[in-house]
Amino acid sequence: MNLFDRMLWVIAFRSLMQHRLRTLLLGSAIAGVTALLVTLTGAFVGIKTTLLVSATTLMSGHVNVAGFYKSSPTSAAPVVTNYKKVREIIAKEVPELDYVVQRGRGWAKLVSESGSQQVGIGGIDINHEPGFRKVVQIKEGKFEDLEKPNAMLIFEAQARKLGVKVGDTMTIVAPTFRGTNNTLDVTLVAIAADIGMLSSWNTFMNDQGLRQLYQLNDETTGALQLYLKDIEQVKPVQERLRKVLAAGGFELLDPDPRPYFAKFDSVNRENWTGQKLDVTNWEDETSFVQWIVTALTVLATMVIVALVAIIGVGIMNVMWISIRERTREIGTLRAVGMQRGSVMAMFMAEGTLLGFMGTVGGGVLGVLLSVGLTQAHISLPPSWQFIFFSERLVISPTAFWVFFSVGFITAAITAISIIPSFLAARLKPITAMSHVG
Amino acid sequence: MSAIVTIQDVVKEYNLGATVVQALRGVSLTVDKGEFISIAGPSGSGKTTLLNLIGCVDTATRGRVEVAGKNTAELSERELTDLRLNTIGFIFQSFNLVSVLTVFQNVEFPLLLQNKLNAKERKARVEALLEQVGLLTHQKHRPNELSGGQRQRVAIARALVTDPLIVLADEPTANLDSETGQAILDLMKSLNQQKGTTFIFSTHDHRVMRYANAVVRLADGKVLGRESPEDAVAHAMGLETPKHAEVRTP
Repeated sequence: MNLFDRMLWVIAFRSLMQHRLRTLLLGSAIAGVTALLVTLTGAFVGIKTTLLVSATTLMSGHVNVAGFYKSSPTSAAPVVTNYKKVREIIAKEVPELDYVVQRGRGWAKLVSESGSQQVGIGGIDINHEPGFRKVVQIKEGKFEDLEKPNAMLIFEAQARKLGVKVGDTMTIVAPTFRGTNNTLDVTLVAIAADIGMLSSWNTFMNDQGLRQLYQLNDETTGALQLYLKDIEQVKPVQERLRKVLAAGGFELLDPDPRPYFAKFDSVNRENWTGQKLDVTNWEDETSFVQWIVTALTVLATMVIVALVAIIGVGIMNVMWISIRERTREIGTLRAVGMQRGSVMAMFMAEGTLLGFMGTVGGGVLGVLLSVGLTQAHISLPPSWQFIFFSERLVISPTAFWVFFSVGFITAAITAISIIPSFLAARLKPITAMSHVG
Repeated sequence: MSAIVTIQDVVKEYNLGATVVQALRGVSLTVDKGEFISIAGPSGSGKTTLLNLIGCVDTATRGRVEVAGKNTAELSERELTDLRLNTIGFIFQSFNLVSVLTVFQNVEFPLLLQNKLNAKERKARVEALLEQVGLLTHQKHRPNELSGGQRQRVAIARALVTDPLIVLADEPTANLDSETGQAILDLMKSLNQQKGTTFIFSTHDHRVMRYANAVVRLADGKVLGRESPEDAVAHAMGLETPKHAEVRTP
């Protein structure tokens, strides 16, 4: 930056300081919008992070190797036979792997003395589930009791609906393809805190119990959930797995980015029998809840655009006032030899500076607000928990989104200041110097 | 001496709604290099309009305005701005300093626009001029911390800092008390004598006219004549027109 450019910034800064009250009011409005944007983006990151953690822990892993076994063309069962061989291939071919768990999959009616509910059942080996223990918070009972045969874990809302407490017995009724029902009595050993929408239909039980329910052998499971050291590696790992599993003699379903329960119809329409594996990722398996993030993004974008537009009108008005007050100054500067481009740059610098000061203040405010709200452990109402995938409000402002908010709003304000700056620059020196007022 | 400003049959009209007002009606005038010339006349006679045309901040409706050998009608907006920056210095009746800049920065500003000197050279140039106008000790002050006379001296320093060929001053003493006004004119005159800079200033004050080498009298948008200061003062005071009045045409 040469000295002349620096002088333009000096003029811009001092002009803003000369009208402190006006600058403060407008700067505060800009700061408010920026803080809101930082908080909203923090909330999205919080939702996405919670979704990622809860979805990958409860349902999918980062990469999911599952599939269907069909004894007849129209009887798809969501199981992986010979899963130990699949697991060996994964261990050999995926160095990015942190750990892998096997989960049984079931869909059944859970019946208590006072009610019933249709639920998804995950069969887990609690001794090999490091992530599960971190994410799921036990409100009543103990994780360790899931080691017991026919032990079950459900979530708080489900327990309320079913009217059960730890120690109660319930019955699982699972329909079979033959039109009959398999039933199994289970004992409720733990009630966990709700994890938003995903915990509304997920339950977990001892994996041996689930095998017993569906009469599966020890070589069979529902899915292998892979947890990677770096989640950015999901796509390459997914692609590699498809190749190595095919090379290992496994047949695979065509890539289909939908959760497994949405594929029954299409799989049942395909004319094959036997086992086919399906390699998906966490986003595929949670695509049915991604609409929440999309809807919130659209909503927040509309709010931000509306707020920026309102701020824009304010900026435009202030620039007009500033230009009107300084018209004679513009005339003088043009008379002493300032080119139009420099006049425009001077006023744009004022807009940019105002925007930058406001947004930086707003960025800091937004981070403090986000941290404060998160630290306050504010309990969310049930309907909000459903959307936020959490009992409590979690806002996670990230450096990227803070810088984005500062940059975006500063850029918007700079863009808004182009019009008045351009018109100021177009003023003829004689017209500007003759200005009265 | 060679002409630095040549004006031929210049007409300047303003549209005030449906009415066309003629501010200048066929003015012709030549100003030579190094002159200290006053344009005199009552309010509304066209003094400021004439200065604006010479200063390239306005354009003539008809006629030819030549400044430093350039026909201003043929120049683009950018070229006119460059001509103002490099050839002309302005001193305004109401000083027109940039309120948010210090005295030093106000004077330095045209040099920054020119971008010809380095920081050290600029500092030396600005400080020399501030010393000349007696404001070296006030270089860090803002305009609102100065008196009217001091502000006008800053404006003079700003007008001279680029070493212009012409300095235009529109009623430079109008907003000053007589003592300060006299000091300003003494300063302008001494700078004219030291550097040979051409000064063209407008006034309707006969005390100011006395400082000029020559006075161009305007009335109703027309040049009445180019006179000696004594004759112009006599005119201004309503005395008999001296016989040696001279009208120069280009």
